[in-house]
Amino acid sequence: MHPVDTMGQTREGAEYGFAFLDEDAKRELRRSIFKAVCIPGHQVPYASREMPIARGFGTGGMQLTLALLGPDDTCKVIDQGADDSVNAANIRNFFALTCPGVTGTLRTEAASVIQTRHRIPELPLRADQILVFQVPYPDPLVVVEPNAAKRRRMHGRADYARLWVKLYEDMVAFDEITISHRYPTRINGHYIIDPSPIPRFDVPKLHQAECLYLFGAGREKRIYAVPPHTDAIPITFNDVAFAVESFRDKTTGKRHVCRRCGADDSFLDEFPDNDGARVFQCSDAAYCDMRLERLEAAE
Amino acid sequence: MSVLELPRLWRPETLQALFRRILDVAARPGQTADLSDLLDDRPAALAALATFCDNTQMLADLTGALSDTDLAFLDVRTAPVEQVGFILARGADAPRFTPRLGTLDAPEGGATIVVMVDSLTAGTPLTLTGPGIAAQALLSPSGLVPGWLDARAGWCADFPMGVDLVLVDKTRLAVLPRTTKIKGA
Amino acid sequence: MAYVAIRGGADAIKGSARLMEALRAMGSSAPLDLDQIERQMPLLHSKVLSEGSLYHPRLASLALKQSLGDSLEAAFFLRAYRSTKPRLGETAPHDTRSMRVVRRVSAAFKDIPGGQMLGATPDYLHRLFRFELMDEGPAQFDQITREWFGNRPKAEMPLTFPKVLDTLRAEGLLAPLAESDDEPFDITREPLIFPVPRSAQLATMARGETGGLLALAYSNMRGYGDVHPTVGELRVGYVPVMVPHPVTGKPMEAGEVLVTECEIVAMFEKSDDGAPVFTLGYGACFGHNEVKAIAMSVLDRAISVATEKGRISNPSEDPEFVLLHVDGIESMGFCTHYKMPHYVTFQSDMDRLRAARTKAEEATDAPR
Repeated sequence: MHPVDTMGQTREGAEYGFAFLDEDAKRELRRSIFKAVCIPGHQVPYASREMPIARGFGTGGMQLTLALLGPDDTCKVIDQGADDSVNAANIRNFFALTCPGVTGTLRTEAASVIQTRHRIPELPLRADQILVFQVPYPDPLVVVEPNAAKRRRMHGRADYARLWVKLYEDMVAFDEITISHRYPTRINGHYIIDPSPIPRFDVPKLHQAECLYLFGAGREKRIYAVPPHTDAIPITFNDVAFAVESFRDKTTGKRHVCRRCGADDSFLDEFPDNDGARVFQCSDAAYCDMRLERLEAAE
Repeated sequence: MSVLELPRLWRPETLQALFRRILDVAARPGQTADLSDLLDDRPAALAALATFCDNTQMLADLTGALSDTDLAFLDVRTAPVEQVGFILARGADAPRFTPRLGTLDAPEGGATIVVMVDSLTAGTPLTLTGPGIAAQALLSPSGLVPGWLDARAGWCADFPMGVDLVLVDKTRLAVLPRTTKIKGA
Repeated sequence: MAYVAIRGGADAIKGSARLMEALRAMGSSAPLDLDQIERQMPLLHSKVLSEGSLYHPRLASLALKQSLGDSLEAAFFLRAYRSTKPRLGETAPHDTRSMRVVRRVSAAFKDIPGGQMLGATPDYLHRLFRFELMDEGPAQFDQITREWFGNRPKAEMPLTFPKVLDTLRAEGLLAPLAESDDEPFDITREPLIFPVPRSAQLATMARGETGGLLALAYSNMRGYGDVHPTVGELRVGYVPVMVPHPVTGKPMEAGEVLVTECEIVAMFEKSDDGAPVFTLGYGACFGHNEVKAIAMSVLDRAISVATEKGRISNPSEDPEFVLLHVDGIESMGFCTHYKMPHYVTFQSDMDRLRAARTKAEEATDAPR
């Protein structure tokens, strides 16, 4: 029996075990996750398996999620904050095909496992929730040191002097730290991580959270973790405060709000509408939907 | 043996459920996980090893508690205690060895030690602080001699090197990652 | 997991899949037969077998058909399928002297024990179109095969041939093969953390993408490097796969795999006993792919010589540069991922740029 039908999609459950990966692969992932949680911020190497979705499209995140999921779980997948984005839809389809029994959801508060690309949900996550990040570049030192062995040594010693120099050079050139996303963040006072391409806006959510954060890089073959109730401090200078995206209008000085739900506290997508005017809308679709529901219920 | 014929403890769905509970308490040192509904009357220590061990891993059983059948299912290679990634030990016997502590470059090489104690809740409270703990947490193992905490303090003195302890009584499990600071006892 | 009702993105994906199918089925051509792909495009088929790193000729054909001829995508299909297969066991190392040879040449010597066997190769044919191929039917195939098999006498041909380089070794011009009990590095079980042993180097390149390996090897051949190779032997043929019997442990032939193997002889250097000897570069892969085997052997030598000397002078000599960038599945995936939405990170970039511009304006007191 061929497990693949003509549409290029696997017939549900055909020929693959639960969650696609074989048990050896899951065990190795689980060993790596365990050590990553015991050594917060350290990039644990693992033998990343090829997935039917291309490298660069979230195979690291997927392998983590597949090692975690059981039939009791409720799973949400977002990309740029939206469940509807093509990449999230593709991954969600894959989970639906390979994890019979797992419930899918769009609602953040209903999910036990959330896989995300480039955003942390606006709603603070609970202790019974795990957020899995898709990571393209696990190592923040790559910008200052191309040699992997040297980088490993620097991380072990928490020797990040060259990273500080890079930030200083930014200040000298632009009077600003120009790093926008992937902001280097120090975990538990030792390892500095690349928190994945989340915007600065989301970095404070890593600090002393209730939930567990797991980071998976498929192509680069590294797993790391930020446990709950753990210090996660974006690095900066004593006299330069860490600033998040302000969404402040340059002329009026007012903070833009979502055109759909009116939120003034969420990360906004900015794009031109069909008339060429600039519009702003919550990047986190579920948050926006929830606020709209509440507004409509209040009326 | 097909997947359907495996004893309950070794089935993929059991191992997944075990892993989630172990992960939850590893992320929150001080909390204990009740594994009784998953154990199929086997000891929690075996369940902990079953979650992580396979033929790529090395184990030292210092207790003699693992039967030949258990070892066959675990599929691990046995080796001297200083060389292995997984150690099974008794809390009543103070450790007289130095386990793998990992290296600066590869601290994940530090061993995972499953320590069998009498109870996770009947002893004198230890005060725990560190990652995963809001302010502080208490864990009260009985049947864990002071030699263990002394040894652990030495092994984990040079972060990121160190070992990670999995404390088990008959049905429950708690984790002491190398980052957890312990006071009291 | 139950399907979640969703708009937009998921609908677009479904539509895309249906469109690809429709484009494939349109027109008057008959559906491709898997045998046609394997038999009439064997070199493309070989490429996929070796880059997919799974010797499954039938699925390699299906992969090419399903991926609409994209060899990177087809290799990806095989790699992903391989990921789901449990490991049943491992064989002992195989000696390619047992190869049932179909082609075997050496550039180092005019003649070699067993003879230069050209086999089926386009190397010395003219790249001129044969326009009669535009209109072939089964009758033409029948005639070709009848003429070939016709009254062909059974030639007295050996199935296996000795290794050319053994003659160099016998004379002491090439270092003897070192005996090794080392476990080969398993690149499917452990990530590459440099420095890696030579077995990891060879395994990575054996499933590397032909174009990537070729470009890097070519740079070395042209002067960004020092290998100056001579092909000692290039052989193509079927290697019997010996699997230990599950009960007796005795090696049993489970089948055979098509392999291309290239051994190059390169610049000489001092051996352990002080006398200079030639050095060796090795390349091998599934299927019939000579460019890949030769490129791989050049890179094997380039990396080995830089490792021995402790000095990397060119990219083709740098194991990290070569080994991390020749895997077609990884490079293709990452290249393709740039098409995915990146608008949140872009929003973040815009914020930084605007902040920096504001700072610049404040500094000069002049609007820009």
